[in-house]
This record gives sequence, C-alpha cells and structure tokens, in this order.
Amino acid sequence: MAAADSPSTALRRRDLCSRGIRLAGKMRADVVDLLDAYVEQQGLDASASVAAVEGVPLAAVERWDEQTGTQRLLENLAAYRAFRALLAQMLEEQREQLGEADAGLGRALAAVLLQVSAFAYHLEELLRLESRGIPGEEEDGPPPPPRLSRFEQKLRGLGVLRELAHWAVRSVRDLRQLAKPSPASGAAPGLAESP
Amino acid sequence: GSLGDPQNLKCVTHNLQKMVCTWDVSSRGRRGQTDFCYTTNDLTPQVCFTTKERRVEIPIPESSITVTIKSSGTATKEFVIHQKDISFVPITPHILSLMPDFPTSTLNLKWSDNGSVFPYGLDAFWQIQILRKEPMEVVTQVTYYSKLTHEDVILSWNWTSDMPLECTSHYVKIRCYINATQFVGSKDWSDWSPAEVIPGKDTEPGESGVFPLDPVVAVGSDLTFCCVHEEDQRITNMIYGSKSYTMMQLSSRSHAIRVLNANVSNSSGTNVVCRLENAWEGSVVFVGYAPDTPQNLSCETPNFLIIKCTWKPGRPSGLYGERRTKYSLFERTSGRNVSCEVSELSKDHVCDFPVLPAQKTYDFILGVSNPIGQAKSSLLVDITQRVHPKTPEKLTVTENNSTSIQLRWFINGSFAEIRLLCQIEISSSHSERKLQNVSTPGRKSSTYTTQVNELHPHTKYQFRVRCSAADHFWRWSDWSRGVEQTTSEA
Repeated sequence: MAAADSPSTALRRRDLCSRGIRLAGKMRADVVDLLDAYVEQQGLDASASVAAVEGVPLAAVERWDEQTGTQRLLENLAAYRAFRALLAQMLEEQREQLGEADAGLGRALAAVLLQVSAFAYHLEELLRLESRGIPGEEEDGPPPPPRLSRFEQKLRGLGVLRELAHWAVRSVRDLRQLAKPSPASGAAPGLAESP
Repeated sequence: GSLGDPQNLKCVTHNLQKMVCTWDVSSRGRRGQTDFCYTTNDLTPQVCFTTKERRVEIPIPESSITVTIKSSGTATKEFVIHQKDISFVPITPHILSLMPDFPTSTLNLKWSDNGSVFPYGLDAFWQIQILRKEPMEVVTQVTYYSKLTHEDVILSWNWTSDMPLECTSHYVKIRCYINATQFVGSKDWSDWSPAEVIPGKDTEPGESGVFPLDPVVAVGSDLTFCCVHEEDQRITNMIYGSKSYTMMQLSSRSHAIRVLNANVSNSSGTNVVCRLENAWEGSVVFVGYAPDTPQNLSCETPNFLIIKCTWKPGRPSGLYGERRTKYSLFERTSGRNVSCEVSELSKDHVCDFPVLPAQKTYDFILGVSNPIGQAKSSLLVDITQRVHPKTPEKLTVTENNSTSIQLRWFINGSFAEIRLLCQIEISSSHSERKLQNVSTPGRKSSTYTTQVNELHPHTKYQFRVRCSAADHFWRWSDWSRGVEQTTSEA
C-alpha cells in the first residue's frame, strides 16, 4: 500500500483538481458554443453522423471505475495533447480556406486551443505533483494528417469538436474522482491507489 | 436464271479508286471456283481471274464496266455496272486517342482523316457521338467539318461534359461522310467506329465519393454533382446546401443531381452531401464571381521611395482564403512585377510598388485573378506629377519677435527632384485665418523653414503647414499638427 499523501500534497492536489474542474467546465461551455458556430458556418447538418476520425482520442472508456489516478491523468494528457495538434490544424485550415472571412470563428477556435493547451499544462502539473514522469511529446509532433477534401475537413472538424466536448465532461469526472478523499484516512490517496 | 446463277452483284467503294464487288448465288448454289472477268470498254482487254470468294476488288470504272461471272457448272452471267450503280462508303474512321481532362471535365478526341486516300479538296463531315449511362444513351451528337488535303491529317476535337467525367463512363464513336462531288454513285456515311471509353469512378472497385470535388464555379452556373457508391449501398438522398434534390441514376453505382443557376456560396462554401445507408460522402462547391475590372486605378508617390496604387475592386467575388481574388502590379517598362497583399474584406485596395532609379514614367498593369476569371486595368503615370507628400512633422517655431516668427518642419521623403509648395495656415482669435504659400527646392528627408511676417505684437497665433509638389500640383499633404505661439510685445 503506498503511503498516504502528506497533508500539503493532498491540499495541493485538491486545489489543482478543483481548478482543473473549473477549467474543464469552462472549456466545455466554450467548445459547445464553438461547435454551434462551426456547424452553422460550415453549413453542416448538426445531426451529421461522423465516423470515428483518425487521430481523435475517444472519450468513451470501458471500466472507467477501475482506472487508477495515474491512468486517468495520463490518458487525459495524451488526449489534450492530441486535441492541441488537431485544433492547431483546424486553425491553419481555417486561415487557408477562409482568410479573414469569418474571423470570429477563427478567434473562437484559437481561444479553445489556448484553453486546451492550458489544461494540458494543468494535467502535467498534477502529474508533477505526484513526481510522475511527464511523458515526452512525440519528437516531431503527430504525423501530418492525410490530404483531405474540404468536406472531409469539415466533417473531421465536427468530429474533433464533438469529441473534445465529450472529453471535457470526462475530465471533470476524472478530476472529481482524483479529488475524492480516500475512505480510510480521510486524506486523498496517492494516485496509484485511487480507482 | 438457272439454279446457282450469280445474282445481286453490288459494288461499293471506300476510297474512290477501287471497289469491292460482291454477289450471291441463287439458292442451293454450291460454293466452287468462279471465273470473274471484267472490261471497262471495248478497247481494253478483258481481265479475268478465278476466285473462291463471292467478292472481288477491282478498279472503279470511269463510266461503266462489263462483268462476266461463271461459276463451275453454271452458265456465264453478264452484268453491266455503271458508276451511278456504285455506292461510296468511306472507310470507318479510326480513333487515335481519347484523352480526359478531369479538372475541366473535357474529352479530347484525335483521329486521322485518311486524306491521302482521296483526291485533294473534298469536304468531309464527321459525326461524333458521346454516350453515357447504363444502358448507354446518346448524350450529344455533333457534326465536325474538315477539308481533305490528299494527306493524312490528324484531327482534334474537344468536348466539355455537363458532368464530371468521374461520374460515369463516357463513350465516343465517330463516323464520316465525304462529299465526293465528282462521284456520281450514291454516297453514304461510313460505319461507326468502335466506341472508345473513359471509365468513370463507378467502375473502380472500392471507389466512392461526390464529384466534382471542391470545385470553384461562377454564380449562375448549372451544376451536376454525382455520388459514386458501392453497388450494394443504398443511397438515401443528395443534398445541395440545405435542399434535397431529385436524383437521376447514371449507373448501378452512380447517382447525380442537377443544380441550376447556382447562388453565391457563403465563405465556407456550399456543401453537397450524399447520404448513404451507413455513410456520408460530400464535396464543397465554392460559387463566386469572376473579378470585376478594377475601377479608378490611381498611383501616387508620398516620398519618391514607393508608389502607392489604389483602386476600387468592384463587386466582391465571394471567394476567400486560397480561392480569394489576387492582385499583382506589373510595370511594363522595367518588367517588374509585384504581388499585392489585399484582403477581400478591406474597403481600400492599395498596392505598393518601388520607385525605380532613373525612372519617372511608369506603365502599370494591375492584374486581378481568381479561380473563376481575371481582369486588368492599366495606367501610364509620371510620378513627378503624382506627388502626395506625407504629413509634415515636427512643426516648431524657431524664432520669434513682435511681428514675425520663423517656422520649421520636417517631411519624410526624397524630394530632391522637385520643388515643393508648402502652405502655412495662420490663425488667431481676432483675425481671419490667413494662408501663406512658400515654394522651396525639395530635399531628401529634410527640414524646411519659412518666415511669417506682418503679425500683431503680443498676439497668440496657431500655425499649421501642408505641402505639395510645386510644378505639377497633385494633392496636398494632410495638415501638420498645429503649433501655438504668442508674438512678443512691441
């Protein structure tokens, strides 16, 4: 059994978790707004079914309850790093395709990208707190996406934003799970233990 | 005639030089050796030969020919063939190549006119048929005209389809008719050539999608989009923008819709969506305008370092990003070309061009283009007559007494080649605003001074200055910032 946290670490974790929860909640609200604007601006049908988009991490997870705290953080971190790259790609496509037309959507996209970057950093903070090694980012970043047609780009953007909204919800649940005090000592358990 | 006699002798020429004569034999005629003789007139000796076929190739007679055919075991049968009895059916044309250009949905057909076979100068008519769909339907049939030159000439013809070539296979056939005016026999079309095919994507296993992919088209265009899918994949509908369109089936794996008089699309384009049973396919069409001819093209220099050209762009193209309208400024004398950074949304369209050493006159062509079209405007200008100086800066009072003051100011720019005309505005609370002009040789990024006299003692004055070219006035600069000064007491 790993030794329980010192009170200061537990306090620090709870603080990071609650700030992370607020950040994820705000991010979700902004992503949902962005999604609405994106659907309208791209002339898409909100009910469009989008098959799993290559490179987009899925928020749905089996046996969520059984995940350790470290697994939660590592999966969250990997996901938000992926979203950071995907949103940056979308922003690039936005500039390429639209130039200054509809700069509003571009700004909203950039704002969400900023939040995703901040949240990824926040997750790294949590991992550092547990003196967990921060997984290095892939040296030269994710492989360049295949050359897609405009419609495929639009659908992929839709898929990315939808999944990001799902992830924000999952992150809130994960962080709440991490912030829970362990039943025995009342102090928050070490990451390895917390299911 | 008795049994086995040769009958129905017919002669056809394909090249106006030789003719192929064929005959048949009345019923139950056995196929054996046949003696075939012909003579064109009394003077030339009869030509005979034996054949097992009921077909011979012999020269075309000037006027008529007498033929005798004797099959084994039958009597000799004589026929007189006049030129008018001979029919002329040109050789079936041979398609040399059929090349698709997918981006423009254009087919290029090349064939030989076989002119070397015919006398010089005959008129030839070529019927070209384009077919599509399963079962094949004729999409169009055109007649192409050419003149034969007694040489084999490769003819070429382009056809632009009303739908992307990817949508379904396109077939092409050709036949010809040669107006041999000297030939008195009957003249007819050749046979159709074998069909050449450009396979559609609906023939490629595993291929699917909406075509054309991400096209850029002009407002008002009539568009055809098709959805290529798997054979067993049921197609639900095809939507253009937000409207579902009636589909036409091109083949078992391809359906199409026709959109008439397309409206301008929004900045992200108009989606064309094909809903299949368990998938979506789509394309995005960008409908916009070709660029207008730029209006009111005007060029001036603020400082003899750069030339600023401005213009009115006209109607927005509705195209953005990589499809936006792009501008370039080409100067004919120097051959210099500058691409202009102009935003589709900005009201003012401005482009800077460097002032070139020892060049006063500039022959500009402003080129405008986007994927739909292009336009241009031109302007010949002597920049010494188009000086619009920058706002004078650092206006200061350098000397001052009871009735006069000295002003100094700075103008950024190289005006050494011209004289400057500057205008001082003198105003005070109890006298009318006065303007004083001063002309001075221009200099390079320099300060200028002038004396303002006949002022009232102990009076507060405000001064401003603006400048322009002295010799060829074009435009005043903006007024400088004001400076305030009270003259000393008398």
